[in-house]
Amino acid sequence: MRTVAAAARLLLGGVFLWASVTKIPDMAAFAESVANYRIVSPHLVPVVAAAVVGVEIAAGITLVLNLWTRAAALLLAGLLAVFTLGLSSALVRGIDLACGCFGGNTPATWWTVLRDVVLLALAIGVAAASPPSPARPSAVPSGQPADPAPAP
Amino acid sequence: MRTVLQMAAVAAAGTAIGLGANALSPHPAALAQPVLSVAESGGGACAMPTAPQAPVSSPAPWRATRITVEEAKGLCDACLAGFVDARGSHEYAHGHIQNALHLPPAGHPDEAAVVAQLRTYPLVVVYDGEYSCAVADDVAGRLRRAGLQDVRVLQGAWPAWVAAKAPSAAGMCGVCGLEALVK
Repeated sequence: MRTVAAAARLLLGGVFLWASVTKIPDMAAFAESVANYRIVSPHLVPVVAAAVVGVEIAAGITLVLNLWTRAAALLLAGLLAVFTLGLSSALVRGIDLACGCFGGNTPATWWTVLRDVVLLALAIGVAAASPPSPARPSAVPSGQPADPAPAP
Repeated sequence: MRTVLQMAAVAAAGTAIGLGANALSPHPAALAQPVLSVAESGGGACAMPTAPQAPVSSPAPWRATRITVEEAKGLCDACLAGFVDARGSHEYAHGHIQNALHLPPAGHPDEAAVVAQLRTYPLVVVYDGEYSCAVADDVAGRLRRAGLQDVRVLQGAWPAWVAAKAPSAAGMCGVCGLEALVK
């Protein structure tokens, strides 16, 4: 079970690191992709675009390094929820746009939404499988409770 | 609570990292400039049949023949057309069709040389960034009066060119020998 959780964490972190790396060569194009969703004020689009890429990097690194995993996974879940709603809204409104997800110009489709939903489920799963506080090396031998009740 | 604080810390660090990455990007987003969607900027709508039309004034302004982005890209790749950017200097500096000459409505300091270069092409494509393509029409009319025979205006303007992003597009095409005049 721990192996599956670790694999999911690394997969999620890796996907977002890769997604951010593909956007950096053309941040202006990514800003245009963000603008095309039409859910952010035009004045905020460049900063939001930069912030999204940065959060993907920061959360990706923390996931890969297994630091603040729950927080990073929840943050990415929030991002993915926004992406999913934004994409769905655009598709429903008939807006023809590139998702901008991996720096390319792939048109957004309902398959893109499905992919985001899968990643969202993965992020929620990683968050659920992570302890709420930073993981610390445990000195407690396996088989014993990690937080035994205080002695009477 | 601890998780929320950690989320805020990751978000803050991420924003800082993102701004840094933007600064290091070869094509950074201009942070101080609003970025309009293609629809809001009028891109993709200029002279297209489904687009709402600009208010008609009297007399009706002269309109150049339109050329689609697909046609223009083919001509761009084959170096069979000269391209003229009729937007402002800032927009031109931020990005333009490679080798497009900057020819704003107010004129170019060496306009005769620009026109002479454009004469070497069988066709000239003018584009701007406006919904109505009025600026491009204005410049196209000026080039027609200067004696250029086939001057067309890019349908959908600059945003449509950027949005197309087919293999050799995204604002780039092959070098056509106009580097000397490209600012």
